[in-house]
This record gives sequence, structure tokens and C-alpha cells, in this order.
Amino acid sequence: MKKFNTTLIGILTCISTSTEASDWPMFRGPEHNGISKETSWRKTWPKTGPPKLWEASVGTGFSSMSVADGKLFTLGNQDKKDTVYALDAVSGKTLWTHVYESKIGAKFYEGGPGSTPTVDLGKVYVLSKWGDLFCLDGKQGHTVWQRQLEQEEGLRLPDWGFNGSPLVHGDHLILNVGGGGMAVDKKTGKTIWLSNDEESGYSTPLPFEIADKTYVALSSGNSFLAADPTTGSKIWEIKWPTRYGVNAADPIIVQNEVWVGSGYGKGHGLFKLNGAVAEVAWTNRELRTQQNAPVLLGGHLFGFDGNGGSRAPLKCIERKTGKVVWEESTFKYGSVAAADEQLIILSAQGELLIAPASPEGFLPTARAKVLNGKCWTVPVLSNGLIYVRNSKGRTICLDVRL
Amino acid sequence: MHSKLKTNRNRRAFIQQGLQASLFFGVAPYIKAAPPARYRTALIGCGWWGMNVLHEAMAAKRAKVVGLCDVYERPMLASKDEVSQRTGEQPRCYKDYRDLLQRERPEVVIVATPDHWHALPCIEALKTGAHVYVEKPTSHTIGESRAMLHASRASDRAVQVGLHRRIGPHHLSGMQFLKSGKVGTIGMVKLFVTGGGGGPETPVGHTKPPTGMDWDMWCGPAPSRPYCRKLTPGGWRNFLDYANGTLGDWGVHWLDQLLWWSEETSPKTVYSTGGRPVLGPAIFNDKEGSTSDAPDTQTVSYAFENFTAVWEHRKYAGNAQEHHRIGAYFYGSKGVFHMGWRDGWTFYPKSKGEPVVHEDPSFDN
Repeated sequence: MKKFNTTLIGILTCISTSTEASDWPMFRGPEHNGISKETSWRKTWPKTGPPKLWEASVGTGFSSMSVADGKLFTLGNQDKKDTVYALDAVSGKTLWTHVYESKIGAKFYEGGPGSTPTVDLGKVYVLSKWGDLFCLDGKQGHTVWQRQLEQEEGLRLPDWGFNGSPLVHGDHLILNVGGGGMAVDKKTGKTIWLSNDEESGYSTPLPFEIADKTYVALSSGNSFLAADPTTGSKIWEIKWPTRYGVNAADPIIVQNEVWVGSGYGKGHGLFKLNGAVAEVAWTNRELRTQQNAPVLLGGHLFGFDGNGGSRAPLKCIERKTGKVVWEESTFKYGSVAAADEQLIILSAQGELLIAPASPEGFLPTARAKVLNGKCWTVPVLSNGLIYVRNSKGRTICLDVRL
Repeated sequence: MHSKLKTNRNRRAFIQQGLQASLFFGVAPYIKAAPPARYRTALIGCGWWGMNVLHEAMAAKRAKVVGLCDVYERPMLASKDEVSQRTGEQPRCYKDYRDLLQRERPEVVIVATPDHWHALPCIEALKTGAHVYVEKPTSHTIGESRAMLHASRASDRAVQVGLHRRIGPHHLSGMQFLKSGKVGTIGMVKLFVTGGGGGPETPVGHTKPPTGMDWDMWCGPAPSRPYCRKLTPGGWRNFLDYANGTLGDWGVHWLDQLLWWSEETSPKTVYSTGGRPVLGPAIFNDKEGSTSDAPDTQTVSYAFENFTAVWEHRKYAGNAQEHHRIGAYFYGSKGVFHMGWRDGWTFYPKSKGEPVVHEDPSFDN
């Protein structure tokens, strides 16, 4: 393991994926934090909800939506096949699809793909549950290159397959595959480095900077860790063993402090990096993030505590201390995005809510039931449109443009 | 839950069940001195249910957790983490239960492994002088259970079987109602588990076992087979080499309620039929991988001296109109009594004018 020099810890800054102002080119958005920069959008609506522009059926799965250059990309499974959908982001019209054989993988849940397509410079990168990796042309959908990582690299799949989305870093595509990540050449798909054959976690690779050098945070079944994206060498590791190896929520890194959380009764914690050593600042069981990470706004974490299918409240937690500021216990699980200091919440039962991201309390300004069924996929706001989906693949576009 | 076991009222029932019973985490007769001792306790099988049992033991403040054992490192490390978070103790971890028993010499051993791994650790623990709490079903085969019974009788240690539905509050009150005569003369009992997804089962390919799982040791005394993700976590219940399907899992709870009510020990005759008409034939080959192989459909009729009992399970055709989808119906001359799970218990009187009697459950495991 590469020894990490303490003097290297400097100011960390968010790393944006270059894009149009309001595009959302990958899971958790251009800033990798679930927060959109959009400010001009409608934060209230009538009881019936915002106007619905279109709806589509994209197949079973939990893939979120990415939006770039007027197109929306998502994934779903039906009849033992996954389909990558490219839809017109405003009209919902199908522009192209890419179909490949894929088992649904229902294991104590509906199954289907869990990763979100990533868009970069006109290319769409897709990682399936079972390790199929595609580079598709964004305009037509034709395959630029493709691989089958599980078989080609002899990987051990985690229990619920790969669910982290690809991350583009320079010429590399970084994947949460293997016990400490993997990188391939984004132009050819050729392996650049592979950590090992062990089970990955389910988070999406998160870039962060220390002293002008970029690293990437990943998860395995037993830990959260950081790697050098160029070489794959491990920089630090936070041991975070979880019963079912489900480290799914992306970590949140502020300067030299790393927040991590997991569900199944585990909890969350803040760690301070001191060179290669991660020292615990606090841990508790107040935010057991099974899948989606919270959003961090004004020093507070806003997220769901508990597993899907159970009473899982929305909580506001002070990041520095881990202390609960408020909790809204009427929720039974859900997910949170944010924009303009507002939380955009989708309950697991399909209610969409807008509420100020405030430590003062949970005071929603708008709410409406917009979907039925099971909604575990985080909503997306892009160019004044909110996109939501349920596990069966019903996808809805809601107009909140001013 | 075990802390509620403050009396010996269940002892007779446990003995009838075939195993010597005692009560570890409550006030057992051999521990009268104050302050109460904490027993050196070890858990073999660190999965979800094993940890539930250990959590109860820790909550009763009578267990000092000295050792954890699992053939799969990940849940064992997660369990160690939970124990140390809760108690500050640092139990040592073992892949082989024999090492744990030799080095830690626990006074109480909880066995919560898959069914095929109940008998050997239980017998070995008794030999090293530990009391044993073994999860239901007692074992995978009748022969194994007999060997366990023999070992328990040869020792002066206690063995308790994890049939927590003997102490669930609504089970206790429901059983009192049943035995009060308010249901009349009971001639038939139906035990059942119904509902679930339909359609043929898709096989999952054989792959390398997960990192940190000793697959040979996982298979242990049962037949060895290639690893398949359908088997873990929990999926082994539907593989007959390691468990006995729905009847060997849920069935044990409801059959036990029947024995508790009737004070019988065994039926005179048993007849069973079933299969996989909906899930389809079991698949096991290198090309496609594996499906499970336990029946999706099974009926059993048990002839007792004074009543008839039937078991029925189907893992499909959930009927939304059916109020109770799991449990035991006791059919009496005065009406129908249902002992359930999350739906508590309910008595439906024969005559229309009389009120339905119901009690909710106070826990949902």
C-alpha cells in the first residue's frame, strides 16, 4: 500500500464533471453530492402535484436517471433482458435503446439493474448487475466497445451484483468492481488496473481532491477505501464490516473528514484522515443508510435512517457531531436529492415532497403522490424537470419550470 | 424475550418435545446467589437470527460474550462489531467451532447455524461442559436429533430449543384461550403457510464462494456442492441437502403449537405428498447452475388419537381475500380459533350472534 504523507492533506474541493449548467450526467449529479445547482424552479404546486409532461415504462430496476444534451438515460429489465433507454428529456420520446441479455436477479427484492448510465463527451457508459460493461454512442446508441468483466477478470460478484455507476476520470473509467475498484481505458475498455477479485460494495466511485491530487473513494463488502485513480493503489481504508456486505451509500468527504453509512442496523460515522490512517471522530446508529446517501447542506446531513420496507424516518443530523437535530417519523423509507437549499424527497410509497433543508425542522412546502408501488430510486431535477421512477419501471417527468 | 422466562411453565412441554429443557437467561433454579453471574457465552453461526438470540442474551445482562464462530468471516466481523459496540467486550472469532470450545470453554453455547450444522456443534459443546441453546429445527435428520438427545441425557447440561413461539405473549394468551374450552371439542387442526411469487424458478450459475467463506466447512457434514448465490444468505432453507424446506422451517413452529396444545408427543400415522408443480423441476448442472430443490407444494396428514391434523404449504397463489395466510386453525365444536403471526390470534364463534375475540401480537418475529 502506498504510504500517504500527512503533509499532503490540504484543501479538498468538489470535482465537477464538465457539462451544461443544469445537466445531470451521472448518479448524484455533476458535483457527485446529490445537489443540483438549479435555483429557478417551482417549489410549490397544487395538491395534484406538478404538471406531468410524460411517462414511460422502462422495465424493472432501481437505476436512476442521467440527463445530458437533451437526453435522459436509464436502465430496466424485462423478459430476461436489460434495456438502456435514451429518451428525449422533454418529450419522453424514445430516441434509441440498447438491449442485452441479463437475468433479473430478484433476491429478496424485485431485482433489475441498480446502476445509472454515465454520460461523458457524447458517450454513455453502462455497467450491468452481472459485469457487462458498455460504451455506447450517445446519439445513435451503437456499441463503441463492450466487455464482460465477471468472466473476463474472474471476479466474485457481490450478493446483489454490481450497482455502482461508472465514473469518468480523465481517460479512465473507474468502476466499483473488485474489493478496491477497477479502472479501464474509456476509449477501448482495456483494463488499466484491477484491485482484486473480491466483492465490491454498491456505492458509486466518488472523486475527491487532496493537495491538488485526485483520489477516488470506493466501497467493498467490509470497508470504505480510497484509491489512486491512475494506479489503483490503496490510499486509506475505513474498516466498515456490514452483515450482508452492503456498503451502498456513497461516502461524503469534506476536507479530511469522511462520512460513511450503511443499513441493516449498522449506522454511520465520521472519520478524520491522518495520512493513511482514518481516525474515528464519531459513530452511531442514527443514520442507517441502506441504499441512497444523504445530502449535506449547511453542515447538516439529510437522509433516511433504516431499510426499505420498514419504518425509516427522514433525519437531519449535524455532521460534525453525529447528533440528531430533528427526525420526521411519518416516513417509511425514501430518498433525497436537493437544489437551491431545498430537499427533493421521494418517499418509498411514491410521494414527492419539497422542504427547506433546514435544521429548524421538517416543514414541507409542497407534496403530492406521484407514483405507486415501490420507489427506492432517488429523484432527479434537471433543467426544471423532475424525474421519478418506481421499481416496476414507471418513469414520470414532472414540470417545475417557472 | 428470554428474560420473560421467569417460571418453569414451559419445562414440561420442552421435555415432551424430546429435549431436556432449561432456562438460561432468566432466573434458573441453579443460580440463586446474588449478584447474578454472567455466563461465558459463545455464538456458533453469526447470521441474522443467531445475532437476534445473542442480542436477547446480552439484553438480559447474564451473558458475557467470549467467542463467535462462523465459516464466513463477514457476518462474524459484523457480529463482533455489534457485540463490542453494545458491551465493550471483544469476543474472539473462530472459523472452527472445535477451536472455540477448546480455547474459550464457554458455559453457554448458542447454535444458530444452518440446519445441517446443528447436531455436531451441539454434541461437542455438551461434551466440553456447556449448556446449549440450539435453534429450531433441532437438526436436519431424525438420526441427528436422536444423537443430540442421547448426548444431552449423557451430560448434566441443559439443552434448550429455540422455539420462541412458546413464549410470545399472544401465543401464551391464545393457548390459555384454547385450553379454556371456549373453542369446544377440537377435532381437526390445520397448520399452513401460503402465498408467494409464482412461475418457474430461474437457476443461478455456480460461482466462486464469497471472499472469506470456507465453503468446504460450510457444507461440512452434508453433501458438498458448488457454491451458488442462491444458497446464502438464508437460501439454504430451500435446499434439501441442508434443510427441509418450508415444513422444516415454518412447519416446526406450528407443529410445536399443536404439540403444546394437545400435550401429545407424536401422531400414530403420517402421510405426505407434494412437489414442485409451479417452481418446476430442480436444476443442478454446470451449465445452468442451480435452482432450489425443496417442494413448493406439500400436504401432510397426521392421525392422532383424538384428532386429525393437516399441514399445507404452497409458495404461490396468495389469496388477498384470505384473512390469514399463515398459522394454525383449531376447529372446535364452538367455532374456529386461529393462532397467527403478525395477525395475533382470533376466535370466530360458530353462532353469528357471538362476538369475535381477538388479540394482537406484541412482537413480530
